[in-house]
Amino acid sequence: MALLRPSSRTRRRGADGDRIWTWLMLPGTLWMTGFLIASLALVAVLAVGTTDDLGNPRFGFDLSGVRALADPAYTEVLARSLGYALLTCAICLLIAYPVAYTIALHGGRYKHALIAAIVVPFFANYLVRMYGWSVVLSDDGPVLRALRAVGLADANTKILNTGVGVVAGLVYGFVVFMIIPLYAALERLDVSLIEAGRDLYGGPVRTFFFVTLPATRQGAAAGLVLVFLPSMGDFVSAQLMGGPDQIMIGNLIQDKFFQGQNWPLGSALTMLLMLVLLVGMLGYLRRTRKDEAEARR
Amino acid sequence: MTLLKLPSATAASRPALRPRARGRRGRAGRKPRVLVAVTALFFALLYLPIAVVTLFSFNSKKSPTVFGGFSLRWYRAFVHDDVLISSLGTSLRISLVAMAGSVVLGVALALGLVRCRTRLGPLAGLIMLVPLITPEIVTGVASMLLFKGLGVDLSTGTVMLAEITFSISYVTVILRSRVAALNPEVEEAAMDLGATRWQAVRLVTLPALLPAVLASAVLIFALVFDDFVLAYFTTGVDPQPLSVRIYSAIRFGVQPTINAVGTLMLVGSVCLIALALFIPRLFGRRGGLDILSGE
Repeated sequence: MALLRPSSRTRRRGADGDRIWTWLMLPGTLWMTGFLIASLALVAVLAVGTTDDLGNPRFGFDLSGVRALADPAYTEVLARSLGYALLTCAICLLIAYPVAYTIALHGGRYKHALIAAIVVPFFANYLVRMYGWSVVLSDDGPVLRALRAVGLADANTKILNTGVGVVAGLVYGFVVFMIIPLYAALERLDVSLIEAGRDLYGGPVRTFFFVTLPATRQGAAAGLVLVFLPSMGDFVSAQLMGGPDQIMIGNLIQDKFFQGQNWPLGSALTMLLMLVLLVGMLGYLRRTRKDEAEARR
Repeated sequence: MTLLKLPSATAASRPALRPRARGRRGRAGRKPRVLVAVTALFFALLYLPIAVVTLFSFNSKKSPTVFGGFSLRWYRAFVHDDVLISSLGTSLRISLVAMAGSVVLGVALALGLVRCRTRLGPLAGLIMLVPLITPEIVTGVASMLLFKGLGVDLSTGTVMLAEITFSISYVTVILRSRVAALNPEVEEAAMDLGATRWQAVRLVTLPALLPAVLASAVLIFALVFDDFVLAYFTTGVDPQPLSVRIYSAIRFGVQPTINAVGTLMLVGSVCLIALALFIPRLFGRRGGLDILSGE
């Protein structure tokens, strides 16, 4: 049958060919627009709105929420969040490079198993992992006991309830985001480049800084973004591992929505967080675009 | 994740870039002791918290740091804790609904995104990426405000809706590359044999995608079951999801029962992830980590 009317079939295929893909795409896109894009827009609107006596959002134009952001109490928290998130990025990079390098270049046939062994615990419940980590770092937990045994800590040294604890929590939570892109980049790295570096009498350190690091820069950049995003928005680490004086912007947002019931201020803080992350993302995109332009030349 | 241009790029480009010399132990192949030691220390610290939770779930004492002997008392406490058990049921229901909803919407979206040539395509692709680059607390706050703004009371149902929204992206990312790897000529051949476009998709394309669809479904189930932030912002007062319960429990000090619940959740997640990794192999395909990374 089909052979008997090939022309009509071809025509029909061209016509409804594209339509069916649009129809398939539509439900998901509409769903996401309705539930996600609209809700993000709502946060932006409420940031300049108010609430009634019962706490329900009321729309209008009121800048008190935005103006409150200038309060030194909030700028301090924002600065601390930025500091902790950037520190987390740096530490994750320092940890992830040797680990990803060892697995990618010296892992041999255990490579995939080792990477799986890093990824799998990451999929375990975040809260349970964090809770376990807080027990490990607690005052009579194994880490401090080991440090005391070798004389690196005394009886008064604390990790929990300090900034160190918060950053340790963030690193533990998100280091996998750094390892995976770095591993992918190192896996792809042409080993003969390293050998060439050695042939030219570059020591291991020089070869690393002049050959390996530049060649895997994109993986590191992707990892930095992937760690920075969740670190900046996290509120569990500061709550479990830090004290009340270690709160981050995530804790403030949570507080404004649940305890303080100040939704406009909470929304303004959320928009501020988004703004910081957007700046980070744009920086990353500009960097990679520059890299790509150079690669093309 | 596609936006972030992970350097794993395409699977096809990999073999060419990996010279054969890798197998032989060249100068780069000497095992540097320091690197191996750092990696070993990393693995020890990575697994220590998990080991501690598991070990102390069998503790006969209440202490979180002193092990008093083997006992199942905290597992027994969990089984008899009506609140935790009903939370477990809530979490299971949420995960099932979110899995079904997001897989249906996500698979259709992935097919459409890859094949569509109209201007709507890039826009839809952009919208799909938003949850992946937005921190969970922002999406959590936004969903909560949307429901409140619409006058909907927060409940298990609102958690389901929110979880579907954010799972669609994962399904689409995982499936997009699989769809792109399919040969559209097979579909054309089916249509030359008399199938309609829809029949070709249903009878040819979807079966070819089945392993990736199943793997992503299992993965979504695990992710939604473990998710805390979104659930925390969108749940009501009716039996809250398990992770929200765990959060309120660990916030107010040590709760040994949480060790038992946590251990069970760890075992469950690991089994599901293993299953997701294994599914493509069941169908005789190279499975593995590429499912997780969506490459």
